[in-house]
Amino acid sequence: MKQGQVSTLNDKKRHTRIVASVVIPLISICIALGCFVAFALAQGTSLEGLYAALYYGVLANPNFLTQTMTRSVPLICAALAVIVPARSGLVNVGGEGQLIIGAVAGTGVAVSMGDAGVGIIGIIIVLLSGALAGGAWGYLCAVLKTAFHAPETVSTLLANFIAADIMLYLLYSPWKDPDGSGQPQSKPIAADLRITTVAGLPIAFIIVIVIAMAVWALLNKSRWGFAARVVGSNPVAAFRGGLSVSRYAHSAMLLGGALAGLGGALNVLGAEGQLRPGLTTTFGFIAFLAAFIAGTSIWKGVMYSIVAAAVLVGSNPLQLRAGLDGNASYVLLGVTCLAIVVISRKTGRAS
Amino acid sequence: MGNSDVPALDVKGLSISFGTIRANDDVNFHVKHGEIHALLGENGAGKSTLVKMLYGVYHPDSGRISVDGNTVDISSPSVARQLGIGLVFQDMRLIPALKVWENIALFLPDTPALLEKEQIVTRISEISARWKLEVDPMATVDDLSIGEWQRVELLKVLLQGAKILILDEPTSVLTPDEVESLFAVIRRLQQAGTAIIIITHKMREVREIADNVTVLRKGKVVMDDVPVSSISDEELIEAMVGHSVSSEHRDSRANYQARPILELAKINVQRPDGTIGLADVSLRVYPGEVLGIAGISGNGQEELADVLSGYARPESGDIVLADKGESGADAGGFASKGITCIPSDPIRQMVVPGLDIASHVALWEHATNPHARGYDVSGAGKRIQKHAAEVGLRIPPSNRILSQLSGGNIQRVILSFAIALAEKCIIASYPTRGLDVGTTADTRRALLAVRERGCAVVLISEDIDEILEMSDRVIVLGNGRIRGCLSGSEMTRSSIGRLMAEEETEQHEARAGEHVE
Repeated sequence: MKQGQVSTLNDKKRHTRIVASVVIPLISICIALGCFVAFALAQGTSLEGLYAALYYGVLANPNFLTQTMTRSVPLICAALAVIVPARSGLVNVGGEGQLIIGAVAGTGVAVSMGDAGVGIIGIIIVLLSGALAGGAWGYLCAVLKTAFHAPETVSTLLANFIAADIMLYLLYSPWKDPDGSGQPQSKPIAADLRITTVAGLPIAFIIVIVIAMAVWALLNKSRWGFAARVVGSNPVAAFRGGLSVSRYAHSAMLLGGALAGLGGALNVLGAEGQLRPGLTTTFGFIAFLAAFIAGTSIWKGVMYSIVAAAVLVGSNPLQLRAGLDGNASYVLLGVTCLAIVVISRKTGRAS
Repeated sequence: MGNSDVPALDVKGLSISFGTIRANDDVNFHVKHGEIHALLGENGAGKSTLVKMLYGVYHPDSGRISVDGNTVDISSPSVARQLGIGLVFQDMRLIPALKVWENIALFLPDTPALLEKEQIVTRISEISARWKLEVDPMATVDDLSIGEWQRVELLKVLLQGAKILILDEPTSVLTPDEVESLFAVIRRLQQAGTAIIIITHKMREVREIADNVTVLRKGKVVMDDVPVSSISDEELIEAMVGHSVSSEHRDSRANYQARPILELAKINVQRPDGTIGLADVSLRVYPGEVLGIAGISGNGQEELADVLSGYARPESGDIVLADKGESGADAGGFASKGITCIPSDPIRQMVVPGLDIASHVALWEHATNPHARGYDVSGAGKRIQKHAAEVGLRIPPSNRILSQLSGGNIQRVILSFAIALAEKCIIASYPTRGLDVGTTADTRRALLAVRERGCAVVLISEDIDEILEMSDRVIVLGNGRIRGCLSGSEMTRSSIGRLMAEEETEQHEARAGEHVE
């Protein structure tokens, strides 16, 4: 079976793009830091305090890279959940909800396994159930679109709130950990189901990078990816070319949701170890932003997700060391994203 | 106004070529003040090219144009306007969202930067009263009928004080009543000494309105400045088409004894807005025949093409395919059953932004053979070049992005594919629209050639000449209904025209009815 070679970029152009995908975020961070320093100084923080925060957050933090990779796992998954449907012309704003549902399903299955000592098979089952739940959550919105003409932009957005409320309901009553000193959180997940690190690298991060490569191949090298792109670019031409538009809408949302759901489950098994209300707060939206800036490019999506994770991790000590509000991380993240948008648009025009 | 002996416009030896096509070859004609001069010719005879040279859109390769006895160089449309030459385009160039006076103000060269509405409206009212061109300057263009659009176009031209007025196929979109009122305005302009050139391929109009006629055929003048009263219809047709028009002029390949390839029985289609798309349409397509579908577009042609090629499911009625039995609509249509399609709006319906020609062809090939496992892009790129060569059309290299090509090139790629891959039938909607003269001829030849393998052609066209030249039978479509089916010696321009006119009147009445409500 011969495959469609959709890309017509020549190698030189591709090379420039790869370099740009690394350089643009770096320049953006520098500019963003500049803006952020101005903001922090206006808040009455001293330069020393900011430097201390940076120092303890990044330079003197031996776990900075590991933490960034761990934090980027749900972000990358949610970014992929935006990019895959975008190829077939759908706007998935529901990454947040799909992450949550994946985390909920994963936690449910993992907790029910208890300390059964099922090991690797148990982990696979938990991850699959997270992916399945997230996929179903996304698929639902695709069906609402094709059967009832409900715009997926609206339905996926609203599904986020439902997903969050389902999680809160479960955590405040049926799933509440009796030994959790009254906190709304699930029972901890058995140690042998937790995903740890190998040679200092978080395994969850390795899994996600492998999955991103697979998704890249699917979108760019497979028949499905070619057809999805045709459907996304001109549905009328796709229909005339024998492609069922609704079938690709369904499968793209199913896959997108599954990727986010997997991210949710990975985050529980890898970073968190239990389900808590604050678990995924805004990760889905940050990832949407990263994917939106990336266009439909997988690697940019991955890159920007890692940058966002780095900013979040690196700005953790701001509250403690620089006396800024906890939300200052998001100010920094917002400024960084803006800088990336402006710079990538400018360089995009230049090339 | 000048001496009446000196022609208002005199054209001597005008020639222009596009590539190897000589669109105008040594064209001579002249028009005096107060004369209505018809430029008659078939589609593709070079009339529009000539007009574009007179209006400064094209620059002639050789020849001379004189206005009131002075040789001029019309280098641009604004030069033409300064010389008093005004052109009412075939396609109307107004901005629908704006009001009439705004559209006119945009066009006038002496419009001040700050629009003075009162002043412009007064000027419009004066001119429209003087020539009895009734237009409400405050109306929004989108709300106007096509006849009113044309009056606005005419007003624009008259407001710049045109002394030589060119009307390019002015009646092609008008109802009979609108044609009458347009002709009344033209006569008033004539009496005021305006030189008028009217481009048309309708003989009846030449008789009705023109003093003199010049006939073009294949870019050459074949009849030069002849008084209309001195010439018979037969002589005019002879001059226009070169031979007498009759459907027997070429051999038919139709096999009416065979089972029909495609049969529609009492098909009804409703449009999304609730209006009738097709009503009770029954027809059969036989192997080897060319079935012409005539009529003004928007009368069900789009819906018929979609039903015939399997892209739309009718509300009621049966579609029967020769060897596969009854079939409903699905993605890909009947492409897998040997029926290909040239859509009416190829860019919207076939072109995927960013994909190269080869990828498009791979996609279309897959529709003809949905059981194939993958998309063979590189093979498709080679095959389409081979198909194009067989069909006799020139297409760009297969790695070019289709959406970035010109309309003509896109059409040639789609034509090459549809013609080469048609096994049973090809549904061709306006296949030669937007093509140059040479490609038009090649396309028609290639379409006729598919009959040799028993394939049928359903030719949907607004161009009666094209339909007459190619078809074995003609169905005239009006308001979604079949107005009549003509074959053999019944197929004449006048009989088709009559059936179309019937429909025009009906539409006009329907529109009048809407206003009453």
